Amino acid sequence: MDKAISVASLTVAYGAATALDNVDLAIPSGKITVLAGPNGCGKSTLLRSIRRLHQPKSGDIRLGDVPISSLREKELARHIGLLAQNPSAPDDMSVEELVRLGRYPHQTMLQPWSAADAEAIQAAMFGTGVSHLADRSLGSLSGGQLQRVWIAMVLAQETDVICLDEPVNHLDMAHQIDCLDLVTRLNREHGRTVVLVLHDLNLAARYADRLVFMKSGGMVAEGEPDALMNEALIEEVFGISCRVIVDPVHERPLCIPIRNSTPRFRGETSS
Amino acid sequence: MSALAPRLSPALLRLNRRAWIAVGVIAAVALVLAICGVGFGSTWIDPRRVGEILFGGGSRGERVVVLQLRAPRVAIAVLAGGAMAVAGYLLQKVTRNELASPGVLGVIGGAGLGVVIFLALLSDESNSLVTSIVWQPVAAMLGASLAIAAVFLLSGQQASSAVRLLLFGIAVGAVCKAATLILMIVGPIYRTTQASRWLAGAVNEINWGEVQVVAVGLAIAMVGVFAVARRLPPADLDEVSARGIGLNLPVFRILVFALASALTALAVAFAGGVGFIGLMAPHLARLIVGRPVLPGIVASFLLGAIMLVGADLIVRVLFAPTEVPAGTVTAVIGTPYFLYLVLRRGSTNG
Repeated sequence: MDKAISVASLTVAYGAATALDNVDLAIPSGKITVLAGPNGCGKSTLLRSIRRLHQPKSGDIRLGDVPISSLREKELARHIGLLAQNPSAPDDMSVEELVRLGRYPHQTMLQPWSAADAEAIQAAMFGTGVSHLADRSLGSLSGGQLQRVWIAMVLAQETDVICLDEPVNHLDMAHQIDCLDLVTRLNREHGRTVVLVLHDLNLAARYADRLVFMKSGGMVAEGEPDALMNEALIEEVFGISCRVIVDPVHERPLCIPIRNSTPRFRGETSS
Repeated sequence: MSALAPRLSPALLRLNRRAWIAVGVIAAVALVLAICGVGFGSTWIDPRRVGEILFGGGSRGERVVVLQLRAPRVAIAVLAGGAMAVAGYLLQKVTRNELASPGVLGVIGGAGLGVVIFLALLSDESNSLVTSIVWQPVAAMLGASLAIAAVFLLSGQQASSAVRLLLFGIAVGAVCKAATLILMIVGPIYRTTQASRWLAGAVNEINWGEVQVVAVGLAIAMVGVFAVARRLPPADLDEVSARGIGLNLPVFRILVFALASALTALAVAFAGGVGFIGLMAPHLARLIVGRPVLPGIVASFLLGAIMLVGADLIVRVLFAPTEVPAGTVTAVIGTPYFLYLVLRRGSTNG
């Protein structure tokens, strides 16, 4: 299996609190990997560490064979794109302006603009179906449209790896499916490696090629959704007793929660 | 092929062109105002005559009045007003906050304090400097940088939280102003007629030597401004998204803060603590030219120049022959404007 990113013995702490404890993980190239787990399990921290937004306490993260710590800021941005959990931009910025920002890491003082930039922007807006919105201001868009525009920006970056941190959090069900179908298409048609953080287990199982279960700062299990989606493991990771059936439409495992199996109110930490 | 690639789409091109046309109009207004600023005084010299004198004509008396007394005053107003406005533009951009400005973030207070300490330490008994005037903006810069560093450190992890940044800025600015006042009252510079300059800001009693120092300093600072201009658009995003496309926003912010401090210090060192220009000019510039960065910077500079030249003209017209600091006019107009911005923010996003 071709590895896009490998994480070895990664430990990340916020002050005294350990967010990730000795995590080892390989992200396969050209696949959709979904990081899943309960709130506070460290899935977002792991995603952000891969994009070097956290300084690890110890451990090693490599892009191919290159340690990401050796890359310059723009170099890293040419290889790994990131859609933030709560991205924000000025309301009066136009859609095209935002998508153009995706080209920032490719531009230098001497080469501020190239034909490749123009092509990448057109392709990204076309690929995400926002070409007709190009001149609109961000403030005038709906939540679903806005999320597509942000994905277009990340797409215009033309990175091999795209990280998305809870991209469907604020969307209604139709737009959740719409957004994740779009991400799948980018993966299948453009061969981008995708790393997703999702907290909806059923969406995770439906869209993942590889699923990673995390719990309290560690990786519990990793594999194909069919292998991971079993009742005992889900109970261990998510603390719910459940029944897993096969989704009759997509033939993917589907979890039906029955009841909470752990006592609550133990002071959860947020992710 | 890359040379032929259209840099901007038709829509963005249109926006950009409109922005530059607006800049042209503002520049024309600035020029007219500057000429009026030179023409106005105890004797009125009409604009055509001002032009002739500037290009070597006019009587000996007129030449002294225009070239020695009035032109340097207008020149320093143009440069100082412009510098403060560009500093405000940069600060508003990187803090994503239209309330940010050199005054509100305590930079003007810090620069003023730097100058007054410099004068207190390095004046002799007859109130003349024992060292070169060139060091005055350096002292201002030191004070300005320390002030903004203090604001930044006090705001800590929440430096991106607009409210904290502004509150600490206002607090640090107030402390600096109080210290300046104390030094002016008890310090050795109490006799200087210029002393009020560092509290309220005024552009009288300027000579060409001082104009030269500001002009050279400003030219250097503007090279820095245009160098960071390309990185300002990604700074419009939140911190994580900006990192995602390759801009390390926390580091970039420090760079821009330093640049804004330098610009403010240059202005304050010679024109004093003229408040609110750094708040109003960039805001107005964005209303007129919109989002494009380069026209925004140039328009801010010109509007800042217009405001300080205009404020100086107003105090000359209203209060002659008494010299009232131009900063009083900008404060009288700026304070309600600031309140308006605060109230409008309050009503739109809580």
